[in-house]
Amino acid sequence: MSRPEAATRRRRPFRAEWPVTGALLLLLLVANGALGALLQSTTWWWLMAFVSATVLLGLAGLRRAGLAESLAPVAGFGILLATLTLLFGGGTGLLWLVPSLETLARFGRLVDSGMESIQQQGTPADPVPGILLLLCAGAGVIAMMMHLLAITLRVPALAGLPALVPVAVPGLIVDGGADPLSLVLTAIAFLILLRVEVRVRRTREAENPPAGPHAPRVVGPVRRRGPGPLWGAMVVGSIGIVGALLLSVATPAVPGGGFAGTGHVGTLLFGSGVTPLINLGQDLRRPQSSAALHYRTSASPPPYLKLLTLDNFVGATWMARVEPSRPNENVEDIALPQGLSSQVATRETTTQIVIDGVAARWLPTPFAPKKVTGLVGDWYWDRSTSTIASANSITRGQQYTVTALELAPTPEQLRAAGTRYPVGIRRNLDLPVNRPAIIDQTARDVTSGAISPYDAAVALQTYLRGGEFSYDTDAPVAEGYDGGGVDVVGKFLEVKRGYCVHFASAMAVMARSVGIPARIAIGYLPGSRSTSYIEGRDRFNVDAHDLHAWPELYFGGIGWLAFEPTPGRGTVPAYTRATDAQVPLGGEVGGLSTAAPRNADPGAQNPSDGRRAATSPSGGSDATRNLTAGLAAVLIVLMLPGGARALRRQGRRRRVRAGPGSAGWAWDELVDTAVDHGVRVRDTETPRELVARLELLPGLVSPTAGDHVAVLRRLLVAAERQRFGRPGAATPGEAPAGLAADLDQVTRAIHAGASWPVRIRAIVLPASLRRPSRVARNGTLPADA
Amino acid sequence: MNGAPVRVVAGPAVAGTAVGAVAGLVDEAEVETPMDLAAVEASARAIIRNVETVIDGKHAAVRTALTVLLAQGHLLIEDVPGVGKTMLAKALAKSVHCTVSRIQFTPDLLPSDVTGVSVFNQADRRFEFKPGAIFANIVIGDEINRASPKTQSALLECMEERQVTVDGSTYLLPLPFTVVATQNPIEMEGTYALPEAQRDRFMARISMGYPDKESELAMLDSRDTSSPLAGISAVVSGAQLRGMMTAARAVFASGAVKEYAVNLVRATREDRDLRLGASPRATLQLIRAAKAQAALHGREYVLPDDIDSLAVSVLGHRMVASSRVLGHHHQDAAPLIEEIVTRIVDATPVPVGAQGCP
Repeated sequence: MSRPEAATRRRRPFRAEWPVTGALLLLLLVANGALGALLQSTTWWWLMAFVSATVLLGLAGLRRAGLAESLAPVAGFGILLATLTLLFGGGTGLLWLVPSLETLARFGRLVDSGMESIQQQGTPADPVPGILLLLCAGAGVIAMMMHLLAITLRVPALAGLPALVPVAVPGLIVDGGADPLSLVLTAIAFLILLRVEVRVRRTREAENPPAGPHAPRVVGPVRRRGPGPLWGAMVVGSIGIVGALLLSVATPAVPGGGFAGTGHVGTLLFGSGVTPLINLGQDLRRPQSSAALHYRTSASPPPYLKLLTLDNFVGATWMARVEPSRPNENVEDIALPQGLSSQVATRETTTQIVIDGVAARWLPTPFAPKKVTGLVGDWYWDRSTSTIASANSITRGQQYTVTALELAPTPEQLRAAGTRYPVGIRRNLDLPVNRPAIIDQTARDVTSGAISPYDAAVALQTYLRGGEFSYDTDAPVAEGYDGGGVDVVGKFLEVKRGYCVHFASAMAVMARSVGIPARIAIGYLPGSRSTSYIEGRDRFNVDAHDLHAWPELYFGGIGWLAFEPTPGRGTVPAYTRATDAQVPLGGEVGGLSTAAPRNADPGAQNPSDGRRAATSPSGGSDATRNLTAGLAAVLIVLMLPGGARALRRQGRRRRVRAGPGSAGWAWDELVDTAVDHGVRVRDTETPRELVARLELLPGLVSPTAGDHVAVLRRLLVAAERQRFGRPGAATPGEAPAGLAADLDQVTRAIHAGASWPVRIRAIVLPASLRRPSRVARNGTLPADA
Repeated sequence: MNGAPVRVVAGPAVAGTAVGAVAGLVDEAEVETPMDLAAVEASARAIIRNVETVIDGKHAAVRTALTVLLAQGHLLIEDVPGVGKTMLAKALAKSVHCTVSRIQFTPDLLPSDVTGVSVFNQADRRFEFKPGAIFANIVIGDEINRASPKTQSALLECMEERQVTVDGSTYLLPLPFTVVATQNPIEMEGTYALPEAQRDRFMARISMGYPDKESELAMLDSRDTSSPLAGISAVVSGAQLRGMMTAARAVFASGAVKEYAVNLVRATREDRDLRLGASPRATLQLIRAAKAQAALHGREYVLPDDIDSLAVSVLGHRMVASSRVLGHHHQDAAPLIEEIVTRIVDATPVPVGAQGCP
């Protein structure tokens, strides 16, 4: 055999492998699509497609270029790693492609946050970067295995096995499993792969018959056109698939006998006198679950369906407030929900609901209902709870359409929400007096450092969803603390096991104890998308196991917002995730965790120029000298903000001692010190309101510091008198020296009470530098000089 | 002042003197020595304590009512029956040594029942003025929305001008003069709701709300026996009350606070959730009420906090929510308006104020 001959023999089959690679890619892409049952949006699919394509095509290309077969796995791994570095490395890799140590550390963090997020989120999950990384890595590994099986080992039939992984995963997690469409498509793609491979091999064998006895062969006559045995296989396969599908559609109807007439299974007993929380637990524990209702909606993600609101403590237990019926509040025209102002963005959605098995006086509706049509009987709407109930009718058999408002407040609006609540809302702050001390204690610990009610709420939600708590419908009953009263919440916070009722009640009670109006909503989770084509793919089925309780918290100017503290159930609402900045691929590592930063301080979000300067100059050749100069520059830059702040402080203290206007200067310095230490000062707040918050700072509440508060109030009164009092009026007892001493005492106490990271930031990077100075602000008020 | 609250002016021929008399009377009130602010605070506390012996757990409502009295405004109490609206008005009136009259408004009440009527005296052969129920220091108008619009407007005219004109003669109303009107928002049949223009005459609207459980239990124990009002006696004389009013007027409102009030009121006019915002009269009354509240606290200057805490009661009843937020139910919009005002107060920046340096 001469050399040119050998070259032809080696080359030709390789060129013919492109169609097989294409078929493999098609199979993998289709199989990946089956994960759609678990994930929101479609970004993840495109990323997985990119990784799969890169690995498969890259390997095929290398092979074409003459790579040894034994090296294929190593090469595949290299390609995968480079792709992942490009996508998720955030620019930390060399040339964006070669992972550095930093990249690997970053991957470790991403994987951790991804695993945590998988545990915490319900389906469909929001693909956070961590989850995306896991998905892409999985797709890459599967692609390598497929390449190995189909091309290196030439057993394409087995290449279908790795592709089954993404198809099988949904079956392990959600009840319905992967939807039939993707199963069918995967099967078709697999058949295409087989056909392509067979064709390729036939062509190859026709041109170049196999030499050795062990070489794989296709038996039978070589035919270019017309149906062959493969078509037969396809027909048989198709019949099998269709048959299986028909069976799967028919079977769910058998257990439970869930058609008409058996409405007693899973019927709700939500009368106004029964405690609904206990009933809810019983329904969740019932092994058989019957259909509750089904709906079609324009909302995405599908909405929670709220039945009733528990906002009233009777003794130690939550109860629904029984409101008088108001026949004028017609359900066909409902006013805006409580507290919502025009500034908040809203979106109208329509949902058509058909009740199957629920028999209740309350109507399941998405929050906040705006218009309900198609009801039979008299239904009235209650503004304060946003629920719809009837005095003379029940839900069973109703078919109706709800137009609802989806609220989309921005984090800025949520943070700006005031702590002043109207009288009608304030009753949602009531708590039984003799509640377990652990409630207040835990609430204070979890929310310490939260700068606004919103941050406190997010911190509570994160705490309850965090790893410490586990979802368990049986433990509370076994240990005798079922229900949602305050004593139960106390026990739950110790045992840390329970189900939605306990999580919702714990969050609501703790929110109330830190001064956020809160209540519990009871209703249904969005349910699951129908897997049956006969019902239609846009239909969602909700059964008794979807019963759920969740807390609603009130924010001024926005109204009631739902939270989701129960781990593994439901979806965390978008507005409570706003704090973990959506990290674009290749962006900063800043906000990877799904947990909201507890100490979200405005200062930390702007990394100083110094810090950036410290990381960038590393590729210089003249290393040591450059490094010294760089370090010096960094030090100087680092000291600049702190120095400017110190200068300002000295100037103010001089003015306080010298007068006139000592009180005003002392106040300015006090406010700036508070801002430096992470207190968020709003200009819509009166001095008195600010002082009321400052009094809660750790440095001022400690029992050893009894008179700090008195001193603080003295500063307040002096400042108020100066700002709003009669100009030139006698100011008794305001010796500038005394004021200066007061100021020093309070600022020192604030500093001493802060945690050490906050203290360091207050010195190095004082946030108050970004506030305009008093003189500049005062310039807008010439009338009063 | 008590006992002879009516000053009768002879007739149209001497109208000039009547005006002079008006000026004279007002001046007289003005020169009433302003009470020391510490004494104002002490007296206010005494009044509030006195009123709270009969009204349990309604501290904010009592305080606002006293604020309105000191600011020489009129008060509208809007709530369901039986929560103590009239009790509050009566207790407040009895705590101050002054004349009180009560008018129960019904659809057939005539304007002359309120203002008074000229009757021909056979002996003197001349018309004699019989003063109506309005001639008192504190006038309690019960269920004002049940009277005909004509009678309502007669009352409101007296409230605004603090004088009564019958048959061409003008009679001055006594000083202090405060109308405390009650109104029931629920039962709408056979009532004439006050139009916005007339509600604007009232300085503040408050609602009592149901008492909490403890207060209601305590009430059962204390109210079981005879009328609780019998146990109340005056703790402040009429002259002292006038001294308190003068002191309240003299409270200083800085430019910054005034600007804050104006900003707040202007924000209500621009808010998209409101069809009708507050009037300039509202701004005026907001500042006056804030001054009175500062005096109640013994402070000689107004704080933005005074404005904040009064905004809902002073501004709320003058506003109309837009149909967008209201849907089609026009009754009981009060909680909605309260939410909107609270939000506006929350969103309006507090001016920095004077800074005794360049």
